[in-house]
Amino acid sequence: MSKLAFQSVTFSFSESGKSNMIQDLSITFDSESITVITGPSGCGKSTFLNLAGGIYPQNAGVLHSGHISVNGQNLAELAPDQRAPMIGVMFQNPDLQFCMDTVENELLFCLGNVQTPPEKMPKIIQDALEFCGITHLKDRKLQSLSGGEKQKAMLACLVALDPEWLLLDEPFANVDEDSSAELVAKIEELHQKGKGILVVDHRLEYWLPVCDEICFLESNNDMNITRYKMEAISDEMLMEKGILPPSIPYKQKGDESIVKPVNPILEIKNLTVFRGKQQILNTINYTFERSKVYALLGTSGSGKSTLFGAINRLYNYQGKILLNGNDVKKRVIRKTGAIGFVTQNPQDQFVASTVLEEITIGLHRTKSLSETEPILRGIGLWGYRNFSPYMLSQGQQRRLGVASLMAYDCQVLICDEPTYAQDWKNTTAIMDSLVEEMMERGMTLIFSTHDRKLANDYADVILTLKEGELIECSKPSL
Amino acid sequence: MNALNPVCKLIGIFVPTLILAAVHHPILNISVFVICLLLLLMSRVRVKLLLLLFLPIILASIGMFFTGYHFQVESGAPVNADNWQMTGSAVWNGLTLSSRVLVYAGLGLLFALTTNKIDLIRSLQQQLHLPSIFAYGILAAWNIFPNLMEEYRKTRLAFRARGVYTSPVSPTLLKPMLVKAVLWSNALSIAMESKGFNGSVKRTEFYVIRVGWKDLLFPVVTIGGMVVFVF
Repeated sequence: MSKLAFQSVTFSFSESGKSNMIQDLSITFDSESITVITGPSGCGKSTFLNLAGGIYPQNAGVLHSGHISVNGQNLAELAPDQRAPMIGVMFQNPDLQFCMDTVENELLFCLGNVQTPPEKMPKIIQDALEFCGITHLKDRKLQSLSGGEKQKAMLACLVALDPEWLLLDEPFANVDEDSSAELVAKIEELHQKGKGILVVDHRLEYWLPVCDEICFLESNNDMNITRYKMEAISDEMLMEKGILPPSIPYKQKGDESIVKPVNPILEIKNLTVFRGKQQILNTINYTFERSKVYALLGTSGSGKSTLFGAINRLYNYQGKILLNGNDVKKRVIRKTGAIGFVTQNPQDQFVASTVLEEITIGLHRTKSLSETEPILRGIGLWGYRNFSPYMLSQGQQRRLGVASLMAYDCQVLICDEPTYAQDWKNTTAIMDSLVEEMMERGMTLIFSTHDRKLANDYADVILTLKEGELIECSKPSL
Repeated sequence: MNALNPVCKLIGIFVPTLILAAVHHPILNISVFVICLLLLLMSRVRVKLLLLLFLPIILASIGMFFTGYHFQVESGAPVNADNWQMTGSAVWNGLTLSSRVLVYAGLGLLFALTTNKIDLIRSLQQQLHLPSIFAYGILAAWNIFPNLMEEYRKTRLAFRARGVYTSPVSPTLLKPMLVKAVLWSNALSIAMESKGFNGSVKRTEFYVIRVGWKDLLFPVVTIGGMVVFVF
């Protein structure tokens, strides 16, 4: 049995140590349990995992006292190649985990790092690919893989490196439900082979059937962790801790018998999009109506982001996209910004130097400080108003991205995964405010998500992209 | 050309390039360019791709020809070309300049279109002992490069979605892109380290890039041929 231990750890991101993020924390995890660490977004989950993985303090922050060890070996004293056999980390963003071009070359890079004899490499790689069910992806370019495939490739790297512990930082944030379920099954199999598993995630539905204990992480002035065995976990207790149990909907259903007037706003006619030689969208015809909420589902790589990109002229397309009967390619539409767009990665949409400017910049209707203050307070970022948007946590960045677009007048608001990396409270806060604004202004909201429950609870119409075609689904079939 | 050792190919192309910089001889330039073209075709580079790549180069070359044609020594232009062994012929002068454009483009494309970047890095590491921190740093940056164009589009779109219209070359777009580049490199280096990458220790390599007699012959022939022609 392997042990991963925090011993009297005090950590902060500044040298002064005046505001320690972690104060005298001691906790031990053993490899016999799958442990899930959860908590509200921005509470320091990723920081905790980066410390456990030895990434901090070597890459950022200051460890003022204590140490983190695996089986008594202090991680801070180990070089990366010595750490790799003990700890492997799977990160949240699948796009920024690889440095080589193909899956095979990435695996060779990993094995070369830990001085694996070259004659043993082909067998290790073959076994790792077979275990993850991605033998067919061996020669594929990593850039051409979907989010789910990239995470499977990353898991294959970890299997090849064979560390004692696997640390996973919200590994399914960009992955569809089917791929997530497959990955969980593989991770459970690795655990049965003796690997210690430590997961940071705010969505528990995948982990509840397999995990042994849950740690709730709270951060007021410093980090506080409370741990519970699975026997002690109930729906009521999860809700008390701010976690939405899988069986509970995000919100009570409204009156669905109310028929909204049919008033087309965005018409898509014979839309076909190629990315390179691959046809992603195949002759799509659909009309979006005013004042309705549309949810777009589909597996990773099914073309959700491509569809949104085409509507926003990010990609070239064949066919027509009309907003109020006018072609979106027309300069007048392009200049007015009548279509708002919240990107999948919130960093893609930051245009200002501070959080406050991010809300006020580019507004057609002038907003004074007194008007922007409630917006920032509403998303819990007033205290960060003079910070750079890039200094916020992933969850905070997402909230700012959504709020800044809501402050801006547009007729159609497109949100690519608006609740990505958000806990329950923030998910409902974002969705409620989006829907409220939409109703108030009579605009149309189109959002993509991997969360079927979210689509079911908030959307008037659920669409799914399958093999390049857009299909309208009736809710009960979900 | 595809099968040649990348480092030998690099030396065999780079050294003649330096020699050509000091020589102004259109026949030599055009001969080397034709050889490059033949080698590219023999290396099964797609003709369509070659045509597309050479189109702007030929235009630039024609432009340089007329520059040299009109501004030769006897034209009265303030160009003193006596020390560069140019003749007074306007045509010869034009050819000298335009053929330089062709030969540099030819040599550059010969290397770029027949070399696998991963093999080049492996070869630089194994034959020239390039530190792995540089080698894999370059590869990581290289593999992020295709995303840059998409990032540029996304950044423009972000401004447009907020009603801020930016021109295609607006410096406003640079700031978010620079911030992202720094964040990317940080995330990527952390991911590489978490996979055990340590630039200061010896690695094991599965693909060994060998140096055969054909590989050694290439720089000998190219550099030797150039020296013989010049001197």
